[in-house]
Amino acid sequence: MSELIERTATGELMLRDTTRRSRRVRNRLASIWMVGSLLIAVIPLALVIGYVLVKGIGQLTPDWFTKDLPAVTRKAGGGMGPAIMGTLLITLAAAAMAVPLGVLGAIYLHEYGGSGRVARLIRFMADVMTGVPSIVMGLFVYTVWTLSHGLSAFGGALALACLMLPIIIRTTEEMLRLVPDELRQASYALGNRKWRTVVSVVLPAAFGGITSGVMLAIARAAGETAPLVFTIGAARKLNLDIFDGPTTALSVQIFGNAQTPYEAAQARAWGAALTLVAIVFILTILARVISARVARRHNA
Amino acid sequence: MRSSNKHAVWLVAVLAVLGVIAAACGGSSSSSDKGDDATYDYVSLSGTLNGSGATFPKAFYEDAIAGFAEIARGVTVNYNGVGSGQGKKDLAAGTSDWAGTDSLVADADKATFKGPFLYFPTVAAPITVSYNLSGVSKLNLSPATLAKIFVGTITTWNDPAIAADNAGVTLPSTAITVAVRSDGSGTTSNFSKFLAAAAPDAFTLTAGDTVAWPKSQAAKGNAGVAQLVKSTSGSIGYVDYSDAKATGLTFASIGNKDGKFVQPTLEGASAALAGATINADLTYSALNAPGAAAYPITAGTYIIVYTSISNPTQASAIRGWLNYVLTEGQTLAPEADFAPLPTSLRDSAIAQIAKITG
Amino acid sequence: MASSASDQHIAPGVLPGGDAVSLHGSGSGRRGDRIFRAVALCAGLVVLAVLALIAASTTHEAWPAFRSQGLSFVTSSTWVPAEGRFGALAFIYGTVLSSVLALLLAVPVSLGIALYANEAAPSRIRRPIVYVMDLLAAIPSVVYGLWGIIVLAPFIGPHVYEPISSAVGDWPVIGWFLNGSSGRSFMTAGIILAIMITPIVTSLSREVIATVPSAQREAAYGMGATRWEMIRTAVLPWGRGGIVGAVMLGLGRAMGETIAVALVIGSQSGQITTHLFEAGDSMAAVIVNQFGEATGTHRAALIGLGVVLFLVTILVNVSARTIVGRFDRRAQGV
Repeated sequence: MSELIERTATGELMLRDTTRRSRRVRNRLASIWMVGSLLIAVIPLALVIGYVLVKGIGQLTPDWFTKDLPAVTRKAGGGMGPAIMGTLLITLAAAAMAVPLGVLGAIYLHEYGGSGRVARLIRFMADVMTGVPSIVMGLFVYTVWTLSHGLSAFGGALALACLMLPIIIRTTEEMLRLVPDELRQASYALGNRKWRTVVSVVLPAAFGGITSGVMLAIARAAGETAPLVFTIGAARKLNLDIFDGPTTALSVQIFGNAQTPYEAAQARAWGAALTLVAIVFILTILARVISARVARRHNA
Repeated sequence: MRSSNKHAVWLVAVLAVLGVIAAACGGSSSSSDKGDDATYDYVSLSGTLNGSGATFPKAFYEDAIAGFAEIARGVTVNYNGVGSGQGKKDLAAGTSDWAGTDSLVADADKATFKGPFLYFPTVAAPITVSYNLSGVSKLNLSPATLAKIFVGTITTWNDPAIAADNAGVTLPSTAITVAVRSDGSGTTSNFSKFLAAAAPDAFTLTAGDTVAWPKSQAAKGNAGVAQLVKSTSGSIGYVDYSDAKATGLTFASIGNKDGKFVQPTLEGASAALAGATINADLTYSALNAPGAAAYPITAGTYIIVYTSISNPTQASAIRGWLNYVLTEGQTLAPEADFAPLPTSLRDSAIAQIAKITG
Repeated sequence: MASSASDQHIAPGVLPGGDAVSLHGSGSGRRGDRIFRAVALCAGLVVLAVLALIAASTTHEAWPAFRSQGLSFVTSSTWVPAEGRFGALAFIYGTVLSSVLALLLAVPVSLGIALYANEAAPSRIRRPIVYVMDLLAAIPSVVYGLWGIIVLAPFIGPHVYEPISSAVGDWPVIGWFLNGSSGRSFMTAGIILAIMITPIVTSLSREVIATVPSAQREAAYGMGATRWEMIRTAVLPWGRGGIVGAVMLGLGRAMGETIAVALVIGSQSGQITTHLFEAGDSMAAVIVNQFGEATGTHRAALIGLGVVLFLVTILVNVSARTIVGRFDRRAQGV
């Protein structure tokens, strides 16, 4: 038998591993690096989620969701009702502005603009806009809205809408691209005009993917703090009027309570963090489930 | 009717009559100079009073707001602890109805207000110098040493100047982390004014709501500084007594004008208040007060409101709120770790309520 | 339905330029099309309008500060609002330092995970890794900040930084960096930022690595390469552009991060030091801490910081997109 072939314990013939030791060592180190990286990334995730769960779960009583914020911040009591409502109202108001604009804008980019100059410019600027720091959005809305109209939920919603708009445009355009052209052709062949085709054929076909993208954008917006700090003010009681008067939100509550030394206030911060993470996780997971179902339908 | 029911009906009737009499008396005394607790008409007040400002008295105002809400159900009082600087600006801009501040409005800023305003002293308390140094449970600091620490001349805990103030104490060589306020603060104003008055050679910075502290970590509000000191070993910072006590911080004893090292206590604060000169507009300074038992960094705090308020319901609500703070509210002060006003100052403040027109 | 079909000799379909042709020919439907197109175009133009408005309004508000400070706005590190002096150099330094630290910590980990997920992981683990990364990315930054200020900072100062600094703080070179003992510091901000940008860099790198054609991989194996050698010679050179783009997008995200950094960086102004375990400040953190009560030139200066941040992050983002775009075109060309 040659050097290259050996017999294993069970009697089979196998190629001998003749790789030089240093190469094998380097390969081993690389494997350790790759597996190690995964473990290193999992540790902080586990720690953060672990702390949020353990420290926050005790706060989630029925009172937590309905009662107003406590008058005495140092002591336990009250709930986060106004903040939870504030987060939901502000985020939904932002979505109400960003989703129609974003979907229509993506329709223009894909159905009409193609690779024309205007479309390319819009696409480029939308990409640029995804990189604008959220605090700059907050400063911008403060300058053009809050200074003249006062603190309100709507100001916060404006800032969040600016954050969501480019994300929705890009993900919607991706989804429109996935709709096969044959569907459009078939619609034209039946005599539909273009706008009819888009509204009754393309959009329904892309609906799942668009919803998924919108939910991811909403999840991102719900967690934002910096744009809200200057535009919504602070409030202890529920304020359902989004155009008038300050309000509060979960993210702002976490930020404020994180900077106090009091057990009760910090406990409220953890509880609010758990609530916020739960909202964001639910939205993200739903989005993934919807897009997985869409993908399965495509491949079927 | 059964006899127990008959008794109940009589009881209710008697109480109703008493209530009517009380309301009638209360209605006429709300415009008298001395607001009497028992007969002040809180029940008929209504409106929303938005306040903002100093975090120094925040714990007291929160307790007072909760107490006031029980007897004046028609009024909602809000208080946002954003610092004295912001509080004064909010009142000047008209976005708040009352401001809480530990420092006076600068002359240059008076023009930004919409009209004349009044200072109402409410409570006073020590400003503690809290520190976090394991193994050192007692610390004496003379004003000069304290100034040098905050100015950055002294950088380690075992500096000879600190050792000189603390004979027999072993001090570690840890670096000092100085904790200050990041927002415009009346507490900063009073603390820096004390250092400027008691250690003018060592304190080379300009006193005020904001001070250009070198080499220091900043935090928001008294609570933020308390948290910073609590979580950072080797740190030292100025925090109001109420927040420092609630956080469980260790206080340094500060050398007062008479040369004694005094711990921050409500008794020390009252001793400092006793000798303070009250100005015509009811402002005063209790910093670096004389007296062996006086705590040298005692600060008072005020509520500022406009003298003339356009809406009469709002004006009554403000008068009611101020009256509560200066009468029943004063009994809530010690529980929240604040010193109530001396009787004469309290009476002058109550008398000043009548000046609010509207 | 086909009443006017005889008038038309055009086959139904779509013309280049996007207009549809149908058997209907002219009619009110064409107006509907034009209106719809116009509405969609306006929606798209909103993006341009908003961006232009952001640039214009922030620069306009910041102008008084730029004018009064001149170039010293970015060259001086003295920031004393009470005296009207606004030198932002230390904050620019803080932003850059914390972001670079974040990259140094995050990139090796992200690359390792991306390679593991694509090349080495058993297929059962691949999907969970993607899910875990998605979840990490979804956690709001304020939650990381909360964990950082309450859990990480109080622990890491005395138990990690202090021992390291006492041990090597006096050594040359290494002692310039591993010095200090403050839990709230550049390094802690860098660690929190690294945790936050790892998911983004990982998923983008993974997408890039997944586009490497299997022909390249098989060629390397065919020549007897070990897995690491195959990665080094076939995957990494191929994906280099895309990975650099992903890293730069992570950098942009780190520079713009406000809340988590504001909570753990220590808010110590004027600090330009190589000591990583000392407190400092960043542009975004200064804005969020001081904006609430700033007026006049102070407010203008803070908005000016926002303008500088805006320009820097746009620069980083645009460079990243062009690099990734060039990589995409090359990948599709083969």
